[in-house]
Amino acid sequence: MTIYVAGFGVLGPGLPDAEACRAVLVAEESYQGGAVRAPVAEGLSANEARRCPTTARYVLDVGRQALRAAGWDAAGVATVLSSGSGDLDILDKNCRALAGVPIALSPTLFHNSVHNAAGGYWGIATGSRAATTSLSAYDDSFAAGLLEALATVAPGQPCLLIAYDLPPPPALARVRKVSAPFAVALALSREAPEGPCARLSWEWGQATGEGASRMASPALEALRLGNPAARSLPLLRALCNRRSETLSWAYPEEGALHVVTSFEG
Amino acid sequence: MMGIEIAIHRYTLTSAFGRGLAANRAGLASDRSMLSTHMLADGFSCAIGRVSGIEEVDMPGRLARYDCRNNRLAQLALETDGFGEAVAAVIREVGAGHVGVVIGTSTSGIATTEAAYRSPTFAREGALGADFPYRETHNVFSCADFVRRYIGAQGPALVVSTACSSSAKAFVAAARLVASGTCRAVVVGGVDSLCDTTLYGFHSLGLLSRGQPRPFSADRDGIGVGEAAGFALVGPPELFGARGGLHLVGAGESADAFHMTAPHPEALGAREAIGAALCSAAWGPGDVDYVHLHGTGTPHNDAAEDQGLACLGLAGTPAGSTKGAIGHTLGAAGMCGVAFVGQGMDTGFMPGTANTKARDPAFHSDLLLAGRPGVIRRALVNTFGFGGSNCSLALEWRP
Repeated sequence: MTIYVAGFGVLGPGLPDAEACRAVLVAEESYQGGAVRAPVAEGLSANEARRCPTTARYVLDVGRQALRAAGWDAAGVATVLSSGSGDLDILDKNCRALAGVPIALSPTLFHNSVHNAAGGYWGIATGSRAATTSLSAYDDSFAAGLLEALATVAPGQPCLLIAYDLPPPPALARVRKVSAPFAVALALSREAPEGPCARLSWEWGQATGEGASRMASPALEALRLGNPAARSLPLLRALCNRRSETLSWAYPEEGALHVVTSFEG
Repeated sequence: MMGIEIAIHRYTLTSAFGRGLAANRAGLASDRSMLSTHMLADGFSCAIGRVSGIEEVDMPGRLARYDCRNNRLAQLALETDGFGEAVAAVIREVGAGHVGVVIGTSTSGIATTEAAYRSPTFAREGALGADFPYRETHNVFSCADFVRRYIGAQGPALVVSTACSSSAKAFVAAARLVASGTCRAVVVGGVDSLCDTTLYGFHSLGLLSRGQPRPFSADRDGIGVGEAAGFALVGPPELFGARGGLHLVGAGESADAFHMTAPHPEALGAREAIGAALCSAAWGPGDVDYVHLHGTGTPHNDAAEDQGLACLGLAGTPAGSTKGAIGHTLGAAGMCGVAFVGQGMDTGFMPGTANTKARDPAFHSDLLLAGRPGVIRRALVNTFGFGGSNCSLALEWRP
């Protein structure tokens, strides 16, 4: 089954948007990393914006980028949100509150601690009542999310995959390594977008000797390995270079998701 | 989603009713509440649905790092009703690489991290030590990772975590893995365990009942938190020799797009999920014999669900909530609903609504206070979660 990539969004160190990402990924060696632009939480009321956690801001930012690139309205677009660890900053605050005397857990931090909180803010910010699924497969969360998103896309049913992870607060830094913030969104549909476009075909099979597709530049490879959402970089590189190739994500250990990219126009 | 059709070949449930289907069937028939009283640190007395026997579970040495209340509960359920043996047989038949694992959970093993934050080590160092098993116990993915290793499945594994709709949505994700040809069979689960985050979290929102939860009654005042683990072995009907029994034939998923914790006042999200489930199963409202309500017992949630059912022509359909009996098992609620409906179909019994003495007179649903004999061929299982994540499942019993 062929699925089209109608657009993508990205936010990471030295990667403020899809255009900057394209410039980097056509000349990998030029990548130097850099600061991360503050994510934009568009579409929330002042009250909701005040409560909106950082993870949800990344989701709103890259998701909106991908919708704009695809020329889509959010209504009717299913979302798959994938994150290896969710919001560890909120988790840390809640566990500290539960260890305190007296126990004073914030109701806002509690409802923001659910793994699908970012999905809730997406619906509130965009007004979309389309299906939204939040999932995790630890470091393989991008492959798991891509698999679920590809299986969700159907004729007349587009899907937005949004993968994100943020570094943990100091209290959790020794038990969970995420080196830098990274979020990515892919707008996927069965219908071909207008103009030049990217096609994906896919299958789940056995892991090959190669394991996962990698980046050539050491800085980008470190980013890829440092954040579950950045495991998307080889796919972004293929999209930016319009390169037809077979990409693999070993997932879990014995199996692999294989995706073949090709281009029209 | 259109065109779902998976057979639910085997399933099992462990809840406050007890371990296994027989105990849960007997519990339903008794109309009893299994909730016990639990005192929070500020003196607030709430109801909880605790599973007994979790402390005695002996986890295998090779998976010692996965030891936490949530994974112990998962193992307890896997070792019940011959479920583990049925999975092993399917793995032998289709190959481990073609068997996936999709678990719905909201708590994962967070209780382990809660305890670690209270330890003298944490107080001294201000951080968890490098040897703390975060990945294996508390991380969202922990339970699916544990289950796949425990049963030896090598297909795709993931956790769906959408609060109280988690395990209902796990069934839909599993159906997609089967429909796309990615998996020949999938072990679907719902596992949620008692922890302070949910007890104190719901308390902070004023959503815990002061006594016993009373779903759909006029004086309802909140939920009682429960824990449960259930699993289902699903696949295309032909894999299991096209024998009859329980099938998932439709599902509807939606978002409220309204508020993080309050349902839409006109129940738009719930209506869309239930309506989409009917549409996906190609059913009219008259085709539904029974509705397993989300029925949490909070004032707003029950009102929204009642309104949603009435809008779709389901006010006359017998309906019940089991949350007064075993508590709100959060991420496991959808799995509990599937198991209870499956047992009701097998035995010709419609589960009632333990703890509730009379239906809210403002409501329209045909609420069963006590369980009663009745044939269920087609049923809906409703789940509505925080963040406005809704999922309704359409189940059919085939001869």
